[in-house]
Amino acid sequence: MARLRRTSVDSKEELRRLADEELMALVAGNDADAYEVVLERHADAAFSLAYRICGRRALAEDIVQDALLAVWRSGGRYDRTRGSVRTWTLGIVHNRAVDALRRSGVHERRRASDEGIEETLEADERTDSQAIENSTSLEIRGAIDVLPNEQRRVIELAYFGGFTHAEIASMLDAPIGTIKGRMRLGLHKLRDQLQGWETVGA
Amino acid sequence: MSLRESDFDCPHTPDAAAYVLGALEEGELRSYRAHLDGCTQCRAEVAALQPIVDELPASAAPARAPDALRERILATVRSEAAVLRAAGDEADRAPRRARRPRRRLAIGGALAAAGALAVILALVLSTGSGGGERVFQARVSAGAPGAHATLRQRDGRAELLVSHMPPPGVGRVYEVWLSRGAGDVQPTSALFDVTATGRGATAVPSDLRGIREVMVTSEPQGGSSRPTRQPLIQIALSS
Repeated sequence: MARLRRTSVDSKEELRRLADEELMALVAGNDADAYEVVLERHADAAFSLAYRICGRRALAEDIVQDALLAVWRSGGRYDRTRGSVRTWTLGIVHNRAVDALRRSGVHERRRASDEGIEETLEADERTDSQAIENSTSLEIRGAIDVLPNEQRRVIELAYFGGFTHAEIASMLDAPIGTIKGRMRLGLHKLRDQLQGWETVGA
Repeated sequence: MSLRESDFDCPHTPDAAAYVLGALEEGELRSYRAHLDGCTQCRAEVAALQPIVDELPASAAPARAPDALRERILATVRSEAAVLRAAGDEADRAPRRARRPRRRLAIGGALAAAGALAVILALVLSTGSGGGERVFQARVSAGAPGAHATLRQRDGRAELLVSHMPPPGVGRVYEVWLSRGAGDVQPTSALFDVTATGRGATAVPSDLRGIREVMVTSEPQGGSSRPTRQPLIQIALSS
């Protein structure tokens, strides 16, 4: 297995100039400093996602710790042809968060997916929304906000609530085909709105 | 009459959205994955929608990862990196030798563990890098053949790292215990699981002052107040 090694003259500053993909090559060679830069870049997004899914601070921390250590330990398995480091990392966070929700039972999951009842974050964990909100998240949130309510709801219940289409169908008292249709329509509508974004998603 | 593309519409394409959202039931998921191998239309739909789902995390309300969380992750990563450096290729080679007999042994291993537990000698590895850092490494009991465990102590904090450990079992977790001498076993809050490749790590909540031995057992989820099984790992600390 080809593993890269840095020379000791590399400083943290030099590492920070590297692209994620280059850092991951170093992480595959067990370079903790390179990993630290990856962590700096994606820890907030990972925590935001885990918290959005499970709605509990302590559980979100456990999920992020588990997922980001998996990134460290399986850095060699990262394949840049299959997406960005961020997408790969957040995919791991998403999987583990949904697994945690499913283990905790339907009731908890329903609780977490209903808005407005999440545990309140401490002030220092809420970010200054102006500071962190980048154009990507503004754009995706804007696009989601203008979806028809029923389409937004099925997408959020599936992605952030960890529910299957059958569970959503029974929760909303609608046929499964209808639920799948709303998912499809909603995602296509998002795609249309975010057209020209391929370079971001790729 | 000319044929339109929709005449060949795959009836499964509407499932692509549920698939990329992770909303298919388990059985469906397996069959849809198999279906994707042979259906270009479904593959194209998945390829079109996956990038949209990949952007959904950005719609979560932004929150800052707590500093303590970052520090915990980094502490573990630095420990593992140090152990890998200290152990060099040794850590990679030893389990490979043990791999072949491991499966067979694992079956009888748990039973044998009680009697076959050997006294484990801890090796103090000189890491060369930092003053005040001590690394204790131990091979483990017959219940976990091929496994390695390492305890790293620095600045009054200790971290336990394991590799090539068997899973703790369904509904179970590994728990760390501290002993000050014969007959004394104190539970800790350190519970951990291992990855598919048998790696795991946990901070040991103790400065290890006066501790003679660190042990690990498999316990029911949530941990126990007294060990219910024989230890799989015992690390004797030279003081």
